[in-house]
Amino acid sequence: MKCEDFKFEYTVAPTETSVEANEHLVSCQQCQLFVEQEKQFEQKLNGVINTEVPSGLRHSLRENVLAQKLPFWSFPKASLAFAASVLIAVGIVAINPTQNQLSVLPVDQLVYEHFSHDGVSSTKASHQLSEQELIKVSKDFGVRVMLGDNISFAEKCPIGDSYGLHMVYQYHDQPVTVIYMPEVTLRATLPFQYAGLHGWVKPLKNGSIAVLGGSTIEIPAQEFADEVIEWL
Amino acid sequence: MRQKQKQLEYERLVLVYSDELFRYALWLCRDKSMAEDLVQESCLRAWKSLDKLRDTSSSKAWLMTILRNEHARQYVRYRPDMVDLDLDMLSLRDIDNDTSPDAFALKQALNELADEYKEPLLLQVIAGLSCEEIASVCGITKSATMTRLFRAKQKLRDVLRPEEGQVGN
Repeated sequence: MKCEDFKFEYTVAPTETSVEANEHLVSCQQCQLFVEQEKQFEQKLNGVINTEVPSGLRHSLRENVLAQKLPFWSFPKASLAFAASVLIAVGIVAINPTQNQLSVLPVDQLVYEHFSHDGVSSTKASHQLSEQELIKVSKDFGVRVMLGDNISFAEKCPIGDSYGLHMVYQYHDQPVTVIYMPEVTLRATLPFQYAGLHGWVKPLKNGSIAVLGGSTIEIPAQEFADEVIEWL
Repeated sequence: MRQKQKQLEYERLVLVYSDELFRYALWLCRDKSMAEDLVQESCLRAWKSLDKLRDTSSSKAWLMTILRNEHARQYVRYRPDMVDLDLDMLSLRDIDNDTSPDAFALKQALNELADEYKEPLLLQVIAGLSCEEIASVCGITKSATMTRLFRAKQKLRDVLRPEEGQVGN
């Protein structure tokens, strides 16, 4: 391959270069220098083109669609606003919308809805849960929880139109909420940033798992999902 | 159940691709609120025709095509009333992250690029689409896409070259 051909190919699409181009690069110092310069250029271009995104965009995209397809959506929305204000002011949340309404919520809203139901009380439980209690509750889901020593709360809770295993895991001395949802399936891991909470929801062999906490709490990396449970 | 799956699929699309959609929309509209409206409208259209999306691996290109078509539709309706120069300057202020002279020169050069060159470049840098996907979104051949990407980058690189020369001296 000639240098000019390589430069054309690399400039057009640096991530799509052919095997021939890659072989040429290994043996050509001039093209290696060119690649270094191109990387700097691509980085600058990337910084200029990829601008900041308004923080509420995702939320409004969901609301827009929900408003189109659910005329009764106004009730849960009002409930959410109420729950959020109570959560901030008193630290106790009193909300329990019906399962039918919950079943159509986006996955992070499902998690948030559940968190607003008993999130505060669950994270207040600072004592370690007994092994027997943990085995008993996780058995209902056909799983064994692998984080035994650091679990301070574990309950079978309604989430959407099914049930989830809601746990609180003490991670770096901070309470992180972990919810295993056997009937909520996903194709890819979703970042979670909603109503002052952050974390992620990751698909598993059966269902998915949500790991979240307040905005100032450090959340484990996504590999953590593989360490939480094992199927019986 | 089917409705729930559709909802989850839409969720996945919105969560994963909304940032890219917005950035692409911002460069097309050159105005934040117009870009937000464009993304809203595009997502609504995506929701309505989600059943037609057979191959989920091409969902990003599919969404970008919807947004591009929606922009073209709105452009016909609104664009004649706008003044290009004002919008260009507004966008330069509005989306400023990097305030270096290089960044400013690049933004200006990007704004001055003809749409036929700018669009493939934006789709590559913002959405990470392959040449083949860009070709399908823009309705051109793969070789035309490659030529346009090459020329667009060449023009932009020329803008930075004098600055880089000074640094080297």
